[in-house]
Amino acid sequence: MKHSRTPLAAVLTLFTPLALSIPLDLAATAAQAQSCEVKVGAMGPMSGGAAQWGLAMAGAAELAAAEVNAEGGIAIGGKKCKVVIVPYDSKYTADGAAAGSNALASQGIKVIIGPVGSPEATGIKPVAARNEQLAWNAAYAKNALEPKFPLMFHIAPGPGTWSDAMVKHALQSFPAIKSVALVAPNDQGGTDIASVDAVAYRNNGVTATEEYYQRGTTNFAPIITRLLANNPDAVDTASSPPGDAGVIVKQLRLAGFKGPIGRMGGPGTEEILRVCGGIDVLRDFYWFETVAETEKVRDIDNLYRKLVGKEPPGGTALWGNLPAARLTMKAIANAGTAEDASKVAAELRKLAVDDPNMGKGVWSGQKQYGINQELFFAFGVGIIKDGKNLGVTRMEPGT
Amino acid sequence: MQQFLQAAVIGVSLGAQYALLALGFTLIFGILGVVNFAHGGFYMLGGYVAYSCVSLLGLPYPLAVIGAVAATAALGWVFELYFLERLIDDHLATLMLTLGLYLVISTGSLTVFGPLAMEFHFPVTGAFHFGSIYVPKENLVVLVICLTALAALWAVLFRTDLGRGLRALADDRAVAMAQGMRPKLLFPAAFALATGLAGLTGALVTPILALSPGVGDPVLATSFLTVILGGLGSLGGAALAAFIVGMVEAYTSVYFGGSIGALVLFVLVLLLLVFRPTGLLGREVRGA
Amino acid sequence: MFRKEPVLGGAEIAALVTMAAAFAIPMITKNVLVYSVLNQALVGIVAAQSVWIMLRMNLLSFATPAFMAIGGYTVAIAGRYEITDAFLMTALAFLLPALAAVPLGALVLRLRGTYFVLVTFVLSQIMQLLLFESESLTGGSNGIAGVPAVTLLGTEMMSNRQVLLFACGIAFLATVITALLTRYFRQHFAAIEENEILAESLGLVVWRYKAVGFVIAAGIAGLAGYSLVNMLLTAHPSSFSSESAVDFIAYTIIGGRGTILGPIVGTALLVYATNLFGTHGQYAQGLYGILILAVILAARGGIAGTAAAAFRRVRG
Repeated sequence: MKHSRTPLAAVLTLFTPLALSIPLDLAATAAQAQSCEVKVGAMGPMSGGAAQWGLAMAGAAELAAAEVNAEGGIAIGGKKCKVVIVPYDSKYTADGAAAGSNALASQGIKVIIGPVGSPEATGIKPVAARNEQLAWNAAYAKNALEPKFPLMFHIAPGPGTWSDAMVKHALQSFPAIKSVALVAPNDQGGTDIASVDAVAYRNNGVTATEEYYQRGTTNFAPIITRLLANNPDAVDTASSPPGDAGVIVKQLRLAGFKGPIGRMGGPGTEEILRVCGGIDVLRDFYWFETVAETEKVRDIDNLYRKLVGKEPPGGTALWGNLPAARLTMKAIANAGTAEDASKVAAELRKLAVDDPNMGKGVWSGQKQYGINQELFFAFGVGIIKDGKNLGVTRMEPGT
Repeated sequence: MQQFLQAAVIGVSLGAQYALLALGFTLIFGILGVVNFAHGGFYMLGGYVAYSCVSLLGLPYPLAVIGAVAATAALGWVFELYFLERLIDDHLATLMLTLGLYLVISTGSLTVFGPLAMEFHFPVTGAFHFGSIYVPKENLVVLVICLTALAALWAVLFRTDLGRGLRALADDRAVAMAQGMRPKLLFPAAFALATGLAGLTGALVTPILALSPGVGDPVLATSFLTVILGGLGSLGGAALAAFIVGMVEAYTSVYFGGSIGALVLFVLVLLLLVFRPTGLLGREVRGA
Repeated sequence: MFRKEPVLGGAEIAALVTMAAAFAIPMITKNVLVYSVLNQALVGIVAAQSVWIMLRMNLLSFATPAFMAIGGYTVAIAGRYEITDAFLMTALAFLLPALAAVPLGALVLRLRGTYFVLVTFVLSQIMQLLLFESESLTGGSNGIAGVPAVTLLGTEMMSNRQVLLFACGIAFLATVITALLTRYFRQHFAAIEENEILAESLGLVVWRYKAVGFVIAAGIAGLAGYSLVNMLLTAHPSSFSSESAVDFIAYTIIGGRGTILGPIVGTALLVYATNLFGTHGQYAQGLYGILILAVILAARGGIAGTAAAAFRRVRG
């Protein structure tokens, strides 16, 4: 009979939320009662298509922590405390990052290395402000930093800062470029970057058109037919994911396009080469390297193996994120606390941008965002010409 | 003019691929009444199995494709026999079961192969150029194989006893069973046939494009769209709709761009449903 | 034709009591994690109820995120003009998606069973594209950030606790509406679920009930969208993807589609589990898949249904 089923079910549902909240509450207080630990959060997508970026963010935090711990830890209130990194998978969505901010805040964590993507940065900003947390985002969004969020820092500059220098350099190698077609996915991760790139091209006398595709497209043949209708001299894949960019390159060459292909977006050249069929297919390519690679920079991977004891997450993202993590550790030490984000932020702003592996950089962001809380290190412009990799040219910050 | 013709070339190639996928999907629905949410998953598995055969086992590509078809068909057979068969009459339950399967396949692929695109190439590459129109050789090969598979499918369905049995079950299961058709053998066969087709398409198309864990999602959406347009359960409708969708997608993308193109396609299908709720060639869906 | 029934049954009362009890949690604790998980659960419960309403008629709808988007973006856009009153926004977040559901319903509801599922799937894809293309209105791919806090009777509900209390309020309201609707039309919906054609032949004007269900379900989804935007202070397209439809459906099926308690139990458990797996998020979807397979094969009534059946067996 109907009425006999409800009491048990009622008991279940009445007390489930209450019952579930108790162990969470206890767990949080138990964690705080442990001996001298400094907890720092690491956030980014650790599952799905963008997993490599999130894992690289966590990896950078872990390496910085391991370095500090090898010296005994951070001095807080007279004691040396061990740094513990607490990772959180924000899944490349706004709500994931917001949930992450709250989850970390519940453990008393006020300093976060991350998150990575534009939707994540958008999602975390108001919530982290409400939770009084400091965070470092790596997004290339137009509003990655805002003066009304003084606790938000930026790991590396977006295209607004470097696209102009890149275009000039690319034009040196490929002077015949008078028109370019940009291709990017039609969400924030694509539009924010491609539109800024387009401005940089136009400022240098190159006409630019922007073409956006629905994220999830696998066959780019129709888009390419559309692009090539205007006979552009070059095609720029902007921030298209490397898998997509590889297919675009492959199909462009099949269609008979012989001009140079650009990538004023993020890393992923290796994956592009893998998908498109090799350097002979790619033939003429110019790309943005987030990090200007040197022997010392590559040494970061060895440091990671030695101190963290695992294979480093692949690619250059680990290198790019490391200075922010290291500076944060220093700022915490100078402030004498990891629980007051404003104090840590104040100390952070005072630090000179000088990293043992990455070299000297500058604080930037005033012109782009109105707040100077972005790290700008030397970046690179890579050139492949006539099927030969001419390597990456180092571009100093401020060029 | 050149764009117009090029769009047609692309459209035909897309249409053939979609036809193989849509036919499998509508076959499963027509005969089993199951909406296969895992269709994209089998497509993706086909790609990964073929890739594994080539890179890990060192097999030549054609054998790898056969391996992919065998693997996806086998998985389909097993899943139908041990999972779907128990609840075959509850359409919602079987839909949820295939959904569960898709989530498992998706996560499994990500865990085993990682998030990045694999190095997987089609053995034939290059393009034929006719003036300013180009036809990639790999697309031609795939087109030929697709048309062959379509013809073979048609032959199986309309010229063999197995096919007759399947069509009888689709038309009226009770009568077919009374006539002696054995669903215990035929249902898994039907499901395996469809998933094998999805696996074949995956093994053929992913080396031309890219192979990564996300490639299954758009396949599902396109299969849905094509089958809605053609009419659930109608083989002719599915084939016709596949070529229409391929052509419309090619033309709208070329002339309107990526996202507006997709929007136009969706809206067109929705409008068609206003006037023909059972799709182009569909019959009335069996009662509740 | 139909027996007179009490306005609310046992399950509905239990559901309302549970949702009322949720108000107590922000009063008992200050723990931010509890707030976060509970808030996510409250949003999910409302969305799952939207799915559940249609499921009462054996119609599986994937359109929940699309209607959530209408509700959520309405509030975000109103926020741009400094309109934040709780009562007005709640009404709009319910009414606008419900209004949109009228013409969509006319199109979609004439399609039987499986077509309905597929077309609602297409609807949520269309919504994403519309969001991207209408940049001046919805902020396009960037969404609308910095949505101002709700004002209830003059007070700005800004703190974490106030946001959570508001979410409790929305969830309670949604549960009341869902309970009243499904209770009042219980036998009509059940008849449609059993055998639509038979019901029609017996004189039931089926399309009317489907329409009412669809429109109210859309309104409930709109409320979920409001709650979500309020929680995040941002209206972003990634919050309303068609993939999230799968999550809401999973919550409902796993919790149990037989009673109104199902969506509540399912959501609470699965949201908790997702947060527990925070760092191992890549396995979460796979886990859902396994759970769905297990529930469908072994526990047809979901968690709530199985618990009830076990209780009945024990009772004898």
